[in-house]
Amino acid sequence: MYDFPQGVYSDVRIERDDKASILIKNNEMLHNNEVSSVGAIIRVYDGKMWYSSVTNDLDDIQHQLDDLAALADKNDDIYNDPTVKNYQVNKDSVLKYDGDTDIRRVTRSMRERLVREYLKNCSADGIEEVKTTTAVYSQTHKIKEFYSSKGAEITQDYQNCEFGMVFEVIVDGITTRARRFFSTDSFDKLKDRSDEIIAERNRYIDYAHNAVDVEPGDYVCVLAPVVTAMFTHESFGHKSEADFMLSDKALRDEWVIGKKVGSDLVSICDSGDMPNHGYIAYDDEGTLPKPTWLIKNGVLTGRLHDSKSAAVLDEELTGNSRAQDFHHLPIVRMTNTYMQGGDTPFSEMIKDIEDGIYVYDVNYGTGNSTFTMQPSLCYRIRNGKICEPVRANVVTGSVFRTLFDIDALGDDFELINTFMCGKGGQGIEVSAGGPTIRVRSLTVN
Amino acid sequence: MERQKQQRISEYTNLKIDENKPESFNRVMKEENSFAVFEDGTEGIYYTEGKMSDDEGFKKADDNLALERPYKFSLETGKRSRDLTKDILTGEQIKQKSAEILDYLNARHPDFIIKEGEFSFYRQTMSMTNSLGLDYKDTDGYTSMYFSFKHKDSKDITDGYISMQKREFDINKFISHADNILDAFCNKVELPDDIILQDTYYGYLSEFYKYLDAEDIALGTSLFAGKLGQQVFDERFSLRHDVSDKKAWTSPFFDGEGVTLDGDSCTYIENGVILKGYADKRIADKYGVPHTGSAVRVLSDIPQNGGVNFHIEQSEKSARELLDGRLTVYPIMASGGGFNEKGDYVMPIQTGLLCDGEKFIGRLPEFTIAGNLFEMFGSGFIGVTKDETALGDKSILMKMKLSK
Repeated sequence: MYDFPQGVYSDVRIERDDKASILIKNNEMLHNNEVSSVGAIIRVYDGKMWYSSVTNDLDDIQHQLDDLAALADKNDDIYNDPTVKNYQVNKDSVLKYDGDTDIRRVTRSMRERLVREYLKNCSADGIEEVKTTTAVYSQTHKIKEFYSSKGAEITQDYQNCEFGMVFEVIVDGITTRARRFFSTDSFDKLKDRSDEIIAERNRYIDYAHNAVDVEPGDYVCVLAPVVTAMFTHESFGHKSEADFMLSDKALRDEWVIGKKVGSDLVSICDSGDMPNHGYIAYDDEGTLPKPTWLIKNGVLTGRLHDSKSAAVLDEELTGNSRAQDFHHLPIVRMTNTYMQGGDTPFSEMIKDIEDGIYVYDVNYGTGNSTFTMQPSLCYRIRNGKICEPVRANVVTGSVFRTLFDIDALGDDFELINTFMCGKGGQGIEVSAGGPTIRVRSLTVN
Repeated sequence: MERQKQQRISEYTNLKIDENKPESFNRVMKEENSFAVFEDGTEGIYYTEGKMSDDEGFKKADDNLALERPYKFSLETGKRSRDLTKDILTGEQIKQKSAEILDYLNARHPDFIIKEGEFSFYRQTMSMTNSLGLDYKDTDGYTSMYFSFKHKDSKDITDGYISMQKREFDINKFISHADNILDAFCNKVELPDDIILQDTYYGYLSEFYKYLDAEDIALGTSLFAGKLGQQVFDERFSLRHDVSDKKAWTSPFFDGEGVTLDGDSCTYIENGVILKGYADKRIADKYGVPHTGSAVRVLSDIPQNGGVNFHIEQSEKSARELLDGRLTVYPIMASGGGFNEKGDYVMPIQTGLLCDGEKFIGRLPEFTIAGNLFEMFGSGFIGVTKDETALGDKSILMKMKLSK
């Protein structure tokens, strides 16, 4: 395939991406396009530094390999380097979306028909408060090839399609945005979900009419599955990415395997081989992913690795080295990360709460020791009942305390497939999941 | 049938740093081409990343006329070229300068870990040509250094970020900036009684991008709807789209439809009065509002409204002069909150520094600030400094409240 240079480790990742999108706002088609791109990232490692180059010219890969190798220091012992030793040598082709399921077979007219059908079914004509209606469709198909100087030869594919609607609702001069998005790897699974969109639109219209500003303070909080998913990803998931602690004694001492980090109810897993938004057949260093329990019954049991972090911490590979696309180097990333569900019905969970907040939906979150989430829709809980909607701007808590403060897990586990995660300047598809959970105290502003 | 071609060539070279050491040396050369043909009110467009001959590109664009993407406006004409690039750094220079910075910081601040960061050079050339004779070319580039840091005893993944981005990058200024922040981080101080926020202003302009959309103003979905011609902000607050030499980085002087502006700028808010919303040709035609040369460069589809590059008119006073002895807080790491639909703003500050306007004094406990769009840029607006002493960039100064 390639004449890999001597005295260095090297690999080549080639990607062929095909994307399409449609956006219709108030019956005006603002986007309707198809975009294809091809490119490769070439990496060379001499045991001290990596050298990389990106090109759209696949005929230039050999030249790039030789050029990068000339920048590196020759190292005849490179294959005994701990990171390089860790690289798996897999030869495989996993084309999951070959044939009838290939989303590239969805024609432009099929896409337009889907969007028009939703616009008709979910029309807000006659609803005075709704000023704009926007429908958005996008699809992505990728084929990735990976070749390494150790002999890895992997071909894999990935695809995703997403549909969503946004309604701008005006009440008393304030605009609220109601939205509902679905994401899946199958075009057919995007169909026939108008009822969910309409229900969500009507919920936000009610919110726009009745929401009151939250009184800032600490509350018992009940988090809906999508919020638990965000909480799991942000508050703990990022701390399970091992690349942040390699030479950091304080963090290695804090996050030592076997330490009790949460209540007995809390178990969190990451698994790249699930058929969800964060699916990978192999990671971008050629490693086969496997389920990794990060927390089991409140005890820290694992973390996420690329080859370097696994070598430094002397732990097993997990298959979590991922890159946004061929323009980027892989780094340690989550895939499909979820908090295990429980068996408490929702009504049971809220019945003893005198004064609390039900966080129903969320815009985004961030995760440091103090994690944050910006809710898009909350309700006040009083005397065990869901009451008026409240307008809150941010929910915060300490990750060290909140994992212990989880005292109930719902029986309504959901895996959310619409998340994108940002880290190191790269946005990547992930899914996150969990049940409704109850947290004894979070700060709501 | 008319033809138009847009091309963007991006060159990006960096040295990535990971846990106090150089991790990788990387280079990206990217060429993007967008071919468009226009016939009977429709536009056929073909976009590709990578090289492609004009013959092949326009042939594919011609084929895409069948998709009937609407575009009924006249193409622009004109000839202009500018190159604002100052430093052009080679790969060797990038490696050498980043090694200098790393060596210095590791020796001077042994109690800190430089978690991840990079020293990089970026250059972009954007060009547009068409069959009516339009020939525009705009080149710009900058050198940038950023890194996240944490104290060795901290249990956080990151305690803060330090960055600087300049057309002419001065290593000594960056090092002095980093020294000041890392030294101040080790000195714990209390919150002042009155909270005056000091920060670069770009992150606070999100609501102006959102609410100055002329379509949203016309539809009534903007918080600024019904407020055109009214003074709703402080009289010292003026906001302009500006792609003149000094203001814009890698923002070409022509918009996504090839429109240029007198003086390369357009004023939207003058002395607190909202003058107009931004509109590309489609929005101006649809709602009968002034056309402001605000088309986004969409290489794969028809242009969209929203190509604005906002800058706040800066004061003629320095931070010290504007503050007159008062102290400020600088949110070195703040995330999770933002503006809500009413324009209310809440932001938890995970790491904040106390500042006298020019120098950082010490690290504050975690706190949360609150405000409202119309107060922050109204009665709470103190100004944008003329000097860049504290942040290596101009600072905005605004009065805020403390929240839970």
